[in-house]
Amino acid sequence: MTLFIQQLFDGLALGGVYCLAAIGLTLIFGVLRIPNLAHGTLYMLGAYVTYFFLVTVGVPYVAAIGLAAVVLAVIGVLLERVVFHPLRNAPHTHHMIAAVGAMFFFQAVAQAIWGADFRRMDSPISGSVTILGAQISWQRIVIVVTAVIVLGLLTWFIKRSIHGQTIEAIEQDRTGSSLVGISPSRVSMLTFGLAAALATVAAGLVAPINLLAPTMGDALSLKVFAIIILGGLGSLPGAIVGGFTLALAEVMTSTYVSAAAGEGIAFAVIVLVLAIRPTGLFARAVQR
Amino acid sequence: MAPMRIRPGATVTAAVCAGVLLATSACGGGGGSGSDTIVIGYSGPLSGGAAAYGKNIQDGLQLAIDELNNQGVTVDGEQYRVELRSLDDQYAPDAAATNAQRLAEQDDAAVVFIPHAGGIQAAQELNSSRTEFLLGAYSSDPKIVEQGNELTMMIPPSFESYAEPFVDKLTRNGESRLGLLGTASEYGQEWTKLVTQEWKSRGGQVLSDNSIDYGTVSDFAGPVSRTLAENPDVIFLGGPSQPTAVIIEEARRQGYEGSFLLMDQAKFEEMEEFTDPKNLNDAIGVKPVRNYDDPGTEDLLDAYAEKVTKKRPVTSEVALNYQSAAIVVAAMEQAGSIDDPTAIREAIPDAIGEVGEQFHVSGFPTEITDAGHLRNQDLEAAYRTPDGEYEYLPIEQPDE
Repeated sequence: MTLFIQQLFDGLALGGVYCLAAIGLTLIFGVLRIPNLAHGTLYMLGAYVTYFFLVTVGVPYVAAIGLAAVVLAVIGVLLERVVFHPLRNAPHTHHMIAAVGAMFFFQAVAQAIWGADFRRMDSPISGSVTILGAQISWQRIVIVVTAVIVLGLLTWFIKRSIHGQTIEAIEQDRTGSSLVGISPSRVSMLTFGLAAALATVAAGLVAPINLLAPTMGDALSLKVFAIIILGGLGSLPGAIVGGFTLALAEVMTSTYVSAAAGEGIAFAVIVLVLAIRPTGLFARAVQR
Repeated sequence: MAPMRIRPGATVTAAVCAGVLLATSACGGGGGSGSDTIVIGYSGPLSGGAAAYGKNIQDGLQLAIDELNNQGVTVDGEQYRVELRSLDDQYAPDAAATNAQRLAEQDDAAVVFIPHAGGIQAAQELNSSRTEFLLGAYSSDPKIVEQGNELTMMIPPSFESYAEPFVDKLTRNGESRLGLLGTASEYGQEWTKLVTQEWKSRGGQVLSDNSIDYGTVSDFAGPVSRTLAENPDVIFLGGPSQPTAVIIEEARRQGYEGSFLLMDQAKFEEMEEFTDPKNLNDAIGVKPVRNYDDPGTEDLLDAYAEKVTKKRPVTSEVALNYQSAAIVVAAMEQAGSIDDPTAIREAIPDAIGEVGEQFHVSGFPTEITDAGHLRNQDLEAAYRTPDGEYEYLPIEQPDE
């Protein structure tokens, strides 16, 4: 039972991280209809920029994540302007090639600045608490709580604020939105900025329990694609449900079946979803 | 002002021409190892996930070469400068083989260093056929000398020699339950198998295999709590030092008080930088380089801090390659040849005794076996006691 509780909390923390990263990816897909293969590297850059503010500059942990999110939002906007905007009328393969190019570029930049060796980022939140016999570290509790708060704010932003609503409008009908005066170009920039900022929050939260390396985004990149396929491409609730589902499935499978099965579960999920329900759990993805 | 119209065809032609020009000039430059230069080739991961490892080895080779150039290298009465040429293979065997061939053919490198078993085996297919070169093989996988390749020099101790003394030391108080938390790489799995066999042969119980890929797992708490749930007395683990340190810290945080059996890839000196060293108490692993008191140890530590970085410690990757670069160049001096790999290989047994004392840093080889394995008769492992002191124990090496 203790083991179950322990794994439940670990799974929830992991789910929070997955969600934050997956939402950005699903938003970009909803608005621009492109699979942003460089999303994992934005997450990696987010972790390094947080590290920079926290360790090199010396600002407090939460402020470091906030500042890094702002920096990454700017990088996200630039990525959209410089790479994806010029390709807006090009065939889809071009986006993918461009995204892979951006991925290698960001990795090389990170390696040039911070080197190839692992970095450790200590968070000020240390210690752990015993819940029903399980040792849960405060950092994991912070991850879950922060993820819930950020998800709440994001839902409010998209459903209630003018700028957020433009994202949803573009997702639903690009031409119609343009006709009523919404600029698709501005919404694209906003989406990329938001996605990069969310990935940074995820990275800033998880970095203290793991290590920083220029390749840290690779594994996450695959997992978040599995999540948005599971949830339905472009669907916000899909990304949230998918994130927690996949994380819990991963943790529980590796606890009660085997570690190898846990690593493979994400891919089993992709195959199953594509075979049984190709549109995902929340079939929002509109065919253009 | 009318914009100048350029036919797309013309642009392509121009681009192709420029490309060809660039390529030819690059070849010309690359092949220009002058008559007074000895080129040592190196193909290793310089970008991607294993880049830090590849960089360590490159640093070791470069530091040795700088020191050799300082002293002056004379082969057959002629003065030479030694130069290291490195190519990135991102840990891919086929890229390593291509790089090795390129280094041997274009840059006239008689010796090429490769630091991963896959790349070494791929290069062994080539190095004794059309392109001859001596392979400086940095991998503790014994398979690389079992192939009977005559132009291979295996640098580190074989990992097979560690299992028995490690298990001996950690079972002295009747410990019987072994938890497995190794890394999921091919090398990690070989180790897991070896330790499992050794443990079972003493009648101990091996618990479930919780091997994970240290590079892709986002949170180590899950695998650690799974392992601890079975109450192991000893945990086998190890991959790159840094994630290994994080896993050890997590295990201690979750209340584990037993011992750790560390695979040779994880280094105490690197882990101490990543976690409170107290967490590493009661663990057995490779002896830290700084704890050797060989004649050249201090100087290498200083040179590394000055020329490479003060932030990272010198590991055996740096030290062993530092030593072996010196051996190779000494072998060239002995053989009186800078371009005959066979003669250089044959000169190694004599060259070992001729290498200057400043290159003796961490258990300098005392012999090379017929199969091509550099060995030190007094190899030692390190046990970090529950009080945080290091104790050393001798390692017997299997016959080859």
